Amino acid sequence: MPTLATAQKGDSFPPATFELTHDWVQEYVAAAEDGAIGRLTGGLVPPMAVAALAIRALLEQSGLPPGTLHAGQELAFAAPVSEGDSLTVTASVASRGERAGWVLMGVELAVDRASERVMTGRATISFPADAGVPA
Amino acid sequence: MTQQRTLTEVGTALPPVTKTITQPKIDSYARASGDLNPLHLDPHFAATTQFGGIIAHGMLVLAYVSEMLTAAFGEAWLTGGRLKVRFRAPARPGDTVTASGKVTSVTGRAVVCAVECSSAAGEVLISGEAEVPV
Repeated sequence: MPTLATAQKGDSFPPATFELTHDWVQEYVAAAEDGAIGRLTGGLVPPMAVAALAIRALLEQSGLPPGTLHAGQELAFAAPVSEGDSLTVTASVASRGERAGWVLMGVELAVDRASERVMTGRATISFPADAGVPA
Repeated sequence: MTQQRTLTEVGTALPPVTKTITQPKIDSYARASGDLNPLHLDPHFAATTQFGGIIAHGMLVLAYVSEMLTAAFGEAWLTGGRLKVRFRAPARPGDTVTASGKVTSVTGRAVVCAVECSSAAGEVLISGEAEVPV
């Protein structure tokens, strides 16, 4: 399985499944203080929590190269999620380029609840090109 | 209903969201996201980086944009919203940041908004575009 530092275009990471537990949602809410989601009915979870979960899956599967910067983010939300939902995250490398000693990588993310897609996204990250080279 | 109608008019500003970044919030976000990069958590390490100190996760700051869009458009944002942004500058503990937006175009199926997060000093931290189905 590749790490982010060594991954090439087309590489994918194994799916990771998470449950939106009460404790995890509370941790996220404590950080983001999303006051708007509570005004909707149905016990919905902030959509950016799903994005945070996708990032978590990516990091747990592939590791974050030292010195990584988050340059850009695209997100598309397809369905709301609620506490207790079980979500599966998949990630793959959509692009990888190198310039002036830095790698610029696009990572595509998808989050599903059973067979229903709830979110897709693309993270653009940059890290030193020697981050994957053993010392 | 009045607000929903207004938000389909080009030039309308979305009600902004203002928050203060704190280290406990950054710590909570690190635990939730699993992003334990010392740049966000370790002041001694962060001081040696190009940023000269701790910075917040970009996705934490971006969450304020999403909160603004949830408040403005309700469940439509959660069931078909799209967002594309660039992270332009970091936010630091103690910074007060404001998420703001303005309707830039309206089609038969979506409202498009320019969105950004800026510091109290006026520095743009995040900028981009959001699209919400109508």
